[in-house]
Amino acid sequence: MPTVRLRTAAEYPPAAQKLFELSRSWFNHDFAEPPAMSRVMAWDLDFGGPHGRAMKRAMTPGEFTRGEKEMVAAAVSGVNACEY
Amino acid sequence: MTGDAVWYEAAQVVGITNALNVAEDTLGALGAIDESAAPVETRALFAEIRDFYGSDDVPQGFRFIGHDPLYAADVWAATRHAFTDKRLARRFKEALAFAVSVATRSASGATLHLAQMRRLGVGQSGVMEIVGVTQMFSSYTKIADTLQLEPDMGDIAPEDTSPAPGGPSR
Repeated sequence: MPTVRLRTAAEYPPAAQKLFELSRSWFNHDFAEPPAMSRVMAWDLDFGGPHGRAMKRAMTPGEFTRGEKEMVAAAVSGVNACEY
Repeated sequence: MTGDAVWYEAAQVVGITNALNVAEDTLGALGAIDESAAPVETRALFAEIRDFYGSDDVPQGFRFIGHDPLYAADVWAATRHAFTDKRLARRFKEALAFAVSVATRSASGATLHLAQMRRLGVGQSGVMEIVGVTQMFSSYTKIADTLQLEPDMGDIAPEDTSPAPGGPSR
């Protein structure tokens, strides 16, 4: 069970709604609620904003495809023993 | 990256990379085998390893486990199989191994696989792409762990209903 109460998207201010829209577009998936991590990152946009931009920059296709990078991300999450 | 086969292939790379890093980073006290005095099988094994990596060096981990030539040969066979081009290209597998080595703080693994990435044509921007993914997901994972977030994106990808290789369809 999460350490914090994850707020629903409706509990976030308009600035955060833009981030949720970006999240929906990034994953190309219509979530009933934005993913928990998106809602965590939207809690403090002064952190979540640059953190998300760095992630997006890293994940954008370049010498490696988006799919390859998702696989690297999964492997990194695995060796970090992160179930999320 | 759809279908389970590429994920099994990636898991082999992650697993054997970690196994090699564990040996190379911790077994210094065991001492490296003296290649000049090693059995002919060990010298042949090291020649094959050099050829695969296109290098004059044999990763130190193999010199440590080379004290048991049969064991070392099997570890090498698994390593070679995991890193050989199949559904995933070796160039990408070296990048995956580099990411795993960085995330597990294996300097020796990071050095080996960075060199292999470059040898296989990955440029500085490509290296930085993998550094970025590794670093940012090392952040996300710790944020998720600290807040004990539960997985909520597992149903984005469709299930692969194909059988195991050679097995009957269900």
